[in-house]
Amino acid sequence: MPSIEYDDSKPSWADQVEEEGDEGTLPSPKEIIKGNIKTIIDYKRDDDGKKIKIVRTFKIETRKASKAVARRKNWKKFGNSEFDAPGPNVATTTVSDDVFMTFISSKEDLNAQDQDEDPMNKLKGQKIVSCRICKGDHWTTRCPYKDTLGPMQKELAEQLGLSTGDKDKPAGSAEPEPAQPAQSKTGKYVPPSLRDGGTRRGESMQPNRRADDNATIRVTNLSEDTRETDLQELFRPFGSISRIYLAKDKNTGQSKVSVHPNNTKSCLLKEGIYYVHLDNILTLEKKCIMVQPSHPSPVHFIFLQGFAFISFHRREDAARAIAGVSGFGYDHLILNVEWAK
Amino acid sequence: MKPILLQGHERSITQIKYNREGDLLFSVAKDTVANVWYSVNGERLGTYNGHTGAVWCVDCDWDTKNVLTGSADNSCRLWDCETGKQLALLHTNSAVRTCGFDFSGNIIMFSTDKQMGYQCYLNFFDLRDPQQIDDNQPYLSIPCSDYKITSAVWGPLGEFVIAGHENGEINQFSAKSGEILKKAKEHTKQINDIQTSVDLTMFISASKDNTAKLFDSTSLDHIKTFKTERPVNSAAISPIMDHVVMGGGQEAMEVTTTSTRIGKFEARFFHAAYEEEFGRVKGHFGPINCVAFHPDGKSYSSGGEDGYVRIHYFDPQYFDFELEA
Repeated sequence: MPSIEYDDSKPSWADQVEEEGDEGTLPSPKEIIKGNIKTIIDYKRDDDGKKIKIVRTFKIETRKASKAVARRKNWKKFGNSEFDAPGPNVATTTVSDDVFMTFISSKEDLNAQDQDEDPMNKLKGQKIVSCRICKGDHWTTRCPYKDTLGPMQKELAEQLGLSTGDKDKPAGSAEPEPAQPAQSKTGKYVPPSLRDGGTRRGESMQPNRRADDNATIRVTNLSEDTRETDLQELFRPFGSISRIYLAKDKNTGQSKVSVHPNNTKSCLLKEGIYYVHLDNILTLEKKCIMVQPSHPSPVHFIFLQGFAFISFHRREDAARAIAGVSGFGYDHLILNVEWAK
Repeated sequence: MKPILLQGHERSITQIKYNREGDLLFSVAKDTVANVWYSVNGERLGTYNGHTGAVWCVDCDWDTKNVLTGSADNSCRLWDCETGKQLALLHTNSAVRTCGFDFSGNIIMFSTDKQMGYQCYLNFFDLRDPQQIDDNQPYLSIPCSDYKITSAVWGPLGEFVIAGHENGEINQFSAKSGEILKKAKEHTKQINDIQTSVDLTMFISASKDNTAKLFDSTSLDHIKTFKTERPVNSAAISPIMDHVVMGGGQEAMEVTTTSTRIGKFEARFFHAAYEEEFGRVKGHFGPINCVAFHPDGKSYSSGGEDGYVRIHYFDPQYFDFELEA
């Protein structure tokens, strides 16, 4: 039985046959010329120590050339190629894969190609552009709410060192829809769950936004058990509410707890999901998380809390709500209400 | 078409050039070796060893006897084409950027970089006078104080050199008096390459300003413009068709910082008269640094930042193709 004689490192007898007994040496390369076809068989070891057989076929061609060219063809090789055999050396010359010239036959094609090459144009055509601030069909920098919502979002997202994946959540809080993740702008595939699906109220909301904006208040230090209905109850007495946005955790449905800087009020840290980038957390205490911001600045003690945005139809109502509810004890926490700017 | 891939360099290709008959292809790169290949099958004939720095330019004379290379090791060297032996070594103060034989093969020119406190010079040597080589004393040395020469070729009849400058200017320098015969300023940025048509009546300039332009060699009249959206590193005129091939792409230093779109590294074919692009050939995975047409017009080669030279023999479709005007 041949298999017994071979040691276990050999994969199978079939491979063994190729090696022709001698383990260390590779068969010497062969060169066969048959008519105008030259075949070179080479053996090599790959990284795993396996033998590789390389077969290359060349066509020998005779061409007529001018005297000078023909003479040059018989020149001796020199320099680094001095010891190369006649014919192309495979170390320096290979034939690469077939390529084809792509013909552009008409102007339309040319334009189409050009457009295709410009990623900006591509985005324009597909209406992929989406504002990070208000979700509108324009670039973030051109957002009409840039001055109002932008800085707030920055504050929430950057200073708090929220992990990138989630930083859009609090950012979108000024609007009924959670803002789309930033990468949607680049035209990448966005799973439906992350698209502006669930909480989106449709394009018809858009014209009212500016008006709403003036009458929006931000409520912070909410407990995580807070529901939208609770907020409705709480704020309805002050006037008619156009919308309520409560930052929610999409898994638990509980109001999302965000971290807020420079907040000296304490709140209890409850069990829940805290969107704080782990690298930034130095110590975890009962009441607060100490966050090391990524940029050089003093260490912040920040406190965990839920938050919501409430838009009234009238600004006066919003003003009264701020006056009325700020400092109001709700659940076990003291609410903090301010203008959403 | 199945391109022949030449792997003779370890660094990016700086220039490729065919000899007059097109049976040999010379390639130089940012490594120190100049290679010469048989263009018919990609077989390497040999290497010219001796430089100690990046080699920027190469040229071969009319009867393929001598080869001239210029390098960043501050030297310009003359080689025997057949044996690879070094015939002459001309030391300079700064890197040699461009070099060329005139039509007779007797007079060589090369330009040096503005570098290390030295200004740019355009030097002329007469090879018939060994004293000039021995003394390293050019018979004519033209200083270019303002903007250095980035590309240069001999004009027709060996009367002048057409030089492209880093500010986009193109000048004719007389090989006899050294004075500037004509000036043209059609490009806004550096001229990366200048190549003449086969009869030397026209030349094409490739510029960083995303265009290549066709000029009349003698009058420096601007004839045609070929626009792309990337810097053009090299352009060549087909000897048999009204075609122009252009190679380019992002600047090497930008490749890693911008999104990768392989399409930008294609060789692009334009119709010389209509100024319209009609075809593209993919293959390189870096910007194309130099392109050259075979003198018979049936193949072309390109050398890229990826260090490979590719020889392409055109398919019959290329010759049948007609642009819908």
